[in-house]
Amino acid sequence: MPTDDIAFQKDSELRAKIDRSLRHPVMFFFASGATWLALSLLLGFISSAKAHSPTFLDGCGFLSYGRVYAAHLNLLVYGWGCQAAFGLVIWLMARLSRKECSAVGIILTAGHVWNFGVLVGFLGIMAGYGTGKPWMEFPVAVWPILLLSYFFITVWSFVQFRCSEGGKIYVAQWYLVAALFWFPWIFLTAHLFVFVFNGHPVMAAAVNAWFKYALIFLFFTPVALGTAYYLVPKVTGRPIYSYALALFGFWALAVIGPWAGMQRLAGAPLPQFMPYLGAAATILIFIPALAVGVNIIMTIRGHEDAVSASPSLRFTLGGIVSFLTLGVLGLILNTPGTLKLTQFSLTGYGYEILAIYGFFSMCAFGGIYFIVPRITRREWLSRRFISWHFWLTVYGVGTVVVCSIMGGLFQGQAQEAYASAWMDAATRSYAYNIGTTIAWSFILFGSIFFLLHLLLMWARLGRRSQHPTLLKADDHHEASPHGPEGDLDELQSAEA
Amino acid sequence: MSFKAFTLALMFSFGIPWLMIIVVPFSKMRHVEPIYFTEEADGRDDVYVPRRAGRIANGAAVYAANGCYICHTQLIRPSFAGSELGRPGWAGFKEQDDAGIPVDTRRETTPFDYVGESFAQIGLMRNGPDLSNVGGRIERYVKEDDADAKTPENWLFLHLYDPRKKVKAYWSTCPSQAHLFTTRNVYGQGSPDAVPGLSEEGEEVLPTDKALALASYLLSMKKDDAVPYSINYSRDKKKAE
Repeated sequence: MPTDDIAFQKDSELRAKIDRSLRHPVMFFFASGATWLALSLLLGFISSAKAHSPTFLDGCGFLSYGRVYAAHLNLLVYGWGCQAAFGLVIWLMARLSRKECSAVGIILTAGHVWNFGVLVGFLGIMAGYGTGKPWMEFPVAVWPILLLSYFFITVWSFVQFRCSEGGKIYVAQWYLVAALFWFPWIFLTAHLFVFVFNGHPVMAAAVNAWFKYALIFLFFTPVALGTAYYLVPKVTGRPIYSYALALFGFWALAVIGPWAGMQRLAGAPLPQFMPYLGAAATILIFIPALAVGVNIIMTIRGHEDAVSASPSLRFTLGGIVSFLTLGVLGLILNTPGTLKLTQFSLTGYGYEILAIYGFFSMCAFGGIYFIVPRITRREWLSRRFISWHFWLTVYGVGTVVVCSIMGGLFQGQAQEAYASAWMDAATRSYAYNIGTTIAWSFILFGSIFFLLHLLLMWARLGRRSQHPTLLKADDHHEASPHGPEGDLDELQSAEA
Repeated sequence: MSFKAFTLALMFSFGIPWLMIIVVPFSKMRHVEPIYFTEEADGRDDVYVPRRAGRIANGAAVYAANGCYICHTQLIRPSFAGSELGRPGWAGFKEQDDAGIPVDTRRETTPFDYVGESFAQIGLMRNGPDLSNVGGRIERYVKEDDADAKTPENWLFLHLYDPRKKVKAYWSTCPSQAHLFTTRNVYGQGSPDAVPGLSEEGEEVLPTDKALALASYLLSMKKDDAVPYSINYSRDKKKAE
């Protein structure tokens, strides 16, 4: 028994060391990501409002619809999505490889460079220097900066993985290593083929369409699934339901994911197998979605208490349900009959928001609610803040997705009715745009709770307590949402 | 599974689609072979030269920077992929020319329609109409008796400045691009470049260089030239007699 105790103590010492070594870079990525997220959601609200009330905030070029919409999505992807992913990857990889981080200074510097790139890109779009290629709208000078800082942020995680002892490779690590491997390949390919190589204009558009889906399925998806595969066994305290199913889900994603995306160009003058292969691949994404969904949900089954109590598990489950929904929608929206309705309607937007916000971000929030108390050694301040964040996000994303998908299908039908006046098609999405605007304001509200909460934690104003902040009232949290009074006293003394 | 096998499997699962749908099609499409008219189908046998005049590169940059591609597409799909060939004025025109001979220029997009651009602005959504033939449509709007505008450029400037006021589309959700124009006081006779129909008493509205480039680019998008029979996918195409 004593040897076990010593081993356990050594183990927790190692974990504490890893957490301490990573506190600054991980908190930097989460906090700056959450700040960009709040800005992106504000821009999403503005652009959605302009879609039905074009005179809203009219009159100055930098707030015109086209620029606000582009800035909204680019900040969502590069400001929030990528930075949240970096924070998750470097922490998870260090913990799973059992290695302290030895390059904190370089990661932090590269993180600042990444943020500088995003800032330049954002200002560039707003000032009218956007490139006009969806998800690649940042001025051309920005992408080499982002790619370079990406290498300096993530290469250490790869080194940790290769140097780890013990030889056990976790499911979460497959996904994280694969994401680290795919991102530079996708990013470099897309930007070289669109901005550098001189090719056919339609082919450049095809590469751009592929880039969006490749980024979703081969970067955001693996990072989110890696986080889920780490958190769910950790929080429920039981192993993953089926190792074989996890293996199958991973390779199904790896084999199917790279083909998806070009269905945006169905009917364009390029070899027709390309868009229809893209549509078929997006339909087949249902297979990995089902494999992962079943695996995670079966692991959680029987621990419903944990889901309602643990913020991490609740957000993760929300993300996995969104991933299943994404798979089902991919199945429905890309058949030859529906593709013509969805190709040029609001539906594409709804699908992307479901992927980036409903799926990836929910899993990332789950990870953040788990990681931040460990690296700051403080517990979350307010159960109510977390709860508000969760419900506003769930209802908000649900509304955006339902409005965009349904509205898009109706809009597509009106577009196809070529004998009717164009006004029919142009006004068909009006009501759905209003719904989307309201939903964005909900999401924005929820994410402001999250940002404030995270910044307070970064300032180390979290609760000093042995009891994690759970979402269900128990003996330790009777009435006060801030935990027992003793913790508040301690908090105040910490402030003094 | 060893790390080496894992990496190799990732290389293959990603590399094969990467080659098949990115690298090989990209290099093949860099040099699209020229298309020839043929004597039996077209009545002539020279090479097809896609014609497009205007400030394409400058205008495309303004189009891109202001996000026009978010709500406007530039693609006429074949009928198996969509039905816009049937929308009046979108894919070309079916009308009579000045001599009374019926002309049908309706056709789907060919790889040559984006000549002069480095990126085909296929577009994200159709909140607004497709622009593949917008130049041709505007030329015809201007000929209508009740049109406010006298020239196609004038029509576009009125539309870009306020999409709901002058062009009789009160329901349009198109954002105003008034920031592409400057307003200044009139001195003397005023500038000949001022936009008729926008100038108020004592003030005149001038298009900036960006507005001029954008208008030139939009008006270059027409589907009115004859394409060889072999790439004319129009449903009603006929061989030359």
